[in-house]
Amino acid sequence: MKTTANFQDADGFYELLIDAHADMSPEQSELLNTRLILILANQIGDSALLRECIEAAKDLSI
Amino acid sequence: MRPETPSFAKVLYTNGYEFTQGTGYTLPEYPFVSPPDLHSNQVLRNAIVIVGGGITGLTLACSLANQGVKAVLLDEDNTVGVKGASSRGICYTQKSLEIFERLGIYKRIAAKGVQWSVGRTFAGKDEVYSFDLSAQSNFNLSAQPPFMNIQQFYIEGFLVERIAELGGVDLRWNSRVTGFEQNDEFATLTVQTPEGTYHIQADHVIDATGSHTPFHAWTGVSMQSTKGDDRWCIADVRFNTHPPVERHTWIEAPFNENRAVWQHLMADDVWRIDYQMAPNADPAYVSREDVVRERLERQFGKEVKVDIVWVGPYAYKSQCVDTLQMGRVYFMGDTAKVVSPFGARGGNTGVSDADNLAWKLGAVLKGWASPALLDSYNVERLEAAQENVRVTNRTARFLRAPEGMERSFRHAAISLAKQYPFARSLINTGRMAVANTYTRSSICADNGGISLQNVSLSWRKGHNGVVNDLLNWAAGRLVLLSFGTSTQAGLRRLRTLTEGTPLRCVQVVDTLTPPQAREHVIDTQHRLRSACQLQGQGWALVRPDGYLAATGHRVDGSLIEAIANTLAL
Repeated sequence: MKTTANFQDADGFYELLIDAHADMSPEQSELLNTRLILILANQIGDSALLRECIEAAKDLSI
Repeated sequence: MRPETPSFAKVLYTNGYEFTQGTGYTLPEYPFVSPPDLHSNQVLRNAIVIVGGGITGLTLACSLANQGVKAVLLDEDNTVGVKGASSRGICYTQKSLEIFERLGIYKRIAAKGVQWSVGRTFAGKDEVYSFDLSAQSNFNLSAQPPFMNIQQFYIEGFLVERIAELGGVDLRWNSRVTGFEQNDEFATLTVQTPEGTYHIQADHVIDATGSHTPFHAWTGVSMQSTKGDDRWCIADVRFNTHPPVERHTWIEAPFNENRAVWQHLMADDVWRIDYQMAPNADPAYVSREDVVRERLERQFGKEVKVDIVWVGPYAYKSQCVDTLQMGRVYFMGDTAKVVSPFGARGGNTGVSDADNLAWKLGAVLKGWASPALLDSYNVERLEAAQENVRVTNRTARFLRAPEGMERSFRHAAISLAKQYPFARSLINTGRMAVANTYTRSSICADNGGISLQNVSLSWRKGHNGVVNDLLNWAAGRLVLLSFGTSTQAGLRRLRTLTEGTPLRCVQVVDTLTPPQAREHVIDTQHRLRSACQLQGQGWALVRPDGYLAATGHRVDGSLIEAIANTLAL
């Protein structure tokens, strides 16, 4: 799993992401997020890497 | 002191038949024949006693009879099916059909059953995706179709008749096992019959009695169980309309309060409609005839005439023993594991369990293999059982996704699947059963442990044959397929090396190369070679259950080692 920035444009992505949720109900936002996770997961594909990403995201201790 | 409660007692809910109703079928009845044990002063000893005459026990009995191995089978009633509940398994996989072909009942199954290959999945009013199994290359090598649907009792009935034809297995009806004990030398079973009770001794006891088995408590086997709140209700019906010959599944059916529905066809123009009920639904209520009729009407409309053949509520659960062998007792079928019916991984797994143990028992009793061969049954079929439990539990979770995050992800997956092919792989309405691969078995080489399909081939003079013909010809011995040309010296060497081993050698050639061996088959399109995953010259060692034990390229010590290894010598 990459832990340093791999974005071509980090700020641009972040803005795109939150703009996508603008004017959405919480239900619509949730659907967008879950759809996005599944679409992105398919871009990765690699089982070990996906597992590592999920484990990293699960660590809520910070 | 209170006796310790066995772990299964806590989870044993009903997937039984106490609420079943419907006009059903007329099942065959078999006569009770007074066994010699009832008239003997001695307790008689048998090498193999099978308890339970369901699809698993009968497949084992038939597979033993097919090898000429004697056994006794005890069944508690006098018919196939379960009294009042004639519909159970309905879908049989290619591997099961291949086994039934080898046992000589496939033609009857094919004549009675229904072939299907198209499946469609719906959510709401929309079709999410569809598939056509006949277009999938992994099913193409076999002489049998990907699946066939037929009521389980038909197969059981065919097996009973085939066993009688083959002889050697004593089918004892109305013989209920009520007691069991075992020691270092033998096991003793107490058998209750209409003419009295007797004891019978056995070297090997096979428990094929189903999910309510008493042997779990008798042997003290430990197990893993999970039980959810998901409830289903099956209705087997006849219509005056004819739905398409396809499998339809709804993840969210508008006519079933947005819960799942299965629509599957069987023989005799009977359809199985399987409805997901509200969590913790009352089985007595959901299977009441007026309630079932109303449900059917919501799906098919008021004008459709429906004849209810059978109704049964189910609480799906999963359970898997930690070992398939406790002393002299072997668990198989539903005594090994209980799974939800998604993907037809119940009965089909039982059939493969039976086929796996049958040749091993035969080889050990004939002195061809070490008794240690029987240990591999546990290794191989426990791996299969655990895999099938894991796969069906995933389906169950997808279908009973609780409100909250699980439901959100399912919603996302369904919405994506309508647009993009990738997301269809996430839609889990059941992963159809396959012939399980054995990765941890010490009797399989690293390149073995896979099921060889029942590939078509040609005999001398162009007659058509299949791999099963070779397995039946070998009658419980291993089959060595030798691919490519050989010299007379090479053949002599092969003969010398394999002399005295329970093995039959077959040369496999394509039409271009004249064969050297009298026993040869022709593999024009290299289907057999590709099923063995071999390239060019080489050999493949095939077990009596149609699994590859090992493959290799040179006829040398490695072949001898592979043969010895496959027989646990």
